[in-house]
Amino acid sequence: MRVSRLLIGLLLLAAPLARGDPLQTEFLLLPSAEAVGTFNRDAPVTQIEDEVLKADMLLSLQKGKFKLFGEYLLSDHEGDLERFQLGWQFSDDTVIWIGRYHQPSSVWNHDHHHGQYLQTSISRPDIDEWEDLGGVLPQHFTGMLIESSRAVLDGWRLRTAFAGGIAPHVTAEGLDPFDLVHPSSDRLTMGYQARASLHPNEFTESGVGILFADDQLAQVGTPSPAQVGFNHADLRLLGVFGTYAADNWKVQGTLYHADARLYYASSTVNDNFDVGYIQAERRFPYDLTGFLRWEDSIGASDSQYLKLFEEFARIRYIGGVRWDFAKRQALTLQLGSTHTLNGHFDDVRLQWSAAFF
Amino acid sequence: MRRALLSLLLFCSLLGSLRAGQQTVVLVVRADSSVTDLDSIAVRKLFLGLPVLINGKPLHAVRNRADPQLDEIFLQQIVAMSQSAYDRQVLIGLNRQGWIRPAEVTAQTRALEILYDDPNAVTFMWLRDVAHDPRVRVIRVLWSD
Repeated sequence: MRVSRLLIGLLLLAAPLARGDPLQTEFLLLPSAEAVGTFNRDAPVTQIEDEVLKADMLLSLQKGKFKLFGEYLLSDHEGDLERFQLGWQFSDDTVIWIGRYHQPSSVWNHDHHHGQYLQTSISRPDIDEWEDLGGVLPQHFTGMLIESSRAVLDGWRLRTAFAGGIAPHVTAEGLDPFDLVHPSSDRLTMGYQARASLHPNEFTESGVGILFADDQLAQVGTPSPAQVGFNHADLRLLGVFGTYAADNWKVQGTLYHADARLYYASSTVNDNFDVGYIQAERRFPYDLTGFLRWEDSIGASDSQYLKLFEEFARIRYIGGVRWDFAKRQALTLQLGSTHTLNGHFDDVRLQWSAAFF
Repeated sequence: MRRALLSLLLFCSLLGSLRAGQQTVVLVVRADSSVTDLDSIAVRKLFLGLPVLINGKPLHAVRNRADPQLDEIFLQQIVAMSQSAYDRQVLIGLNRQGWIRPAEVTAQTRALEILYDDPNAVTFMWLRDVAHDPRVRVIRVLWSD
């Protein structure tokens, strides 16, 4: 609770600097309900909950150049303060945040965050999965994030994001991010991330970019069998990504190269693997959108780092259709075929999602 | 000198529009606002909820929905997208950056009240409704038939 109190205190201290500016507020509720069935299953673990009800809540308060922004996700499985950020709008194009944020080297998570309604597919690429759902890359950090967009070349925009903060721990249950509500000072390590992308104009999603991350991940608590003797990992990511967004088409993809150095009690292991995905979406009449995604990897089966988690989907194919049947409400049907490190399964999902101001 | 010349040109063109009985939609601020000009990209950013700062102060967009034709002009001339695409852009901005969508008003009087109270508020109106109001200032013609 100390960190969240600190952020609220800082906002109160900053309020006199914005004297005369009205307080603006915005609340957004993104509920969803999902049912999943698996079949052709020989994988011991699938990461999948059969039924999930979620309410993702966003609150933004703004007074002058200062803002407080929070995202709380409540589901039938968890309740978590996902983002809690105090921001200072340095200029039109640059904002500086402190608090708990989604790390910027995940393009998918930067674009969609937790709200199901705003992503076309039901599931996200497994490399960008959240930590508490079996994700293998750290996503939630507590520290500072600087986001910027500036004009370059002839009308093109360079969007950048730099961040540094307290990294998640590696535990027997998977990655465990720093908890703002119940903070612990046990083995705090840092992670740094950067993303830069070029876009043909201010308002388009189309663009290409590069990403980088260097995260120190310490093991905490009783280890799982795969983690016995493991102390910490230095995980480095390099990646490229691109998006093409037109009226009826959207194609986006990301390719990550990961270098991991794993420190055990008496040895060090160097490891690397590559993971990528590409998703295509096509809008059809009657508010229907079809989508396909291919996720694949090189070197994942032999990766010592990925074996710390065991549930990673090294290959996955998904396809489906979304129907925006009412104002800010959608139904989505998705079929998937997944090869994990330990087996295979297919799944079918049905989801209702919505957005309410 | 250049600013005075531009203001004179804007004044003359507005006067011409009024006399000719044309329908004109203009961007307006409070008379003592520090906003002197906004280009079309800044106007689009502002009404999509993106931050636009003048002298270090963020501007506050007010979407005037007092009549359906103003709504049509807003979508076609200011943000250049359909209502559903606009809704989605505003949702995306809030989800990614905590951007606050422009306030919406359905009565002309309410838009003027907000303008009178807030020197950083920016809205759009029919020229005929504000041409003789000394408490507001026209900074740009957005549409004219």
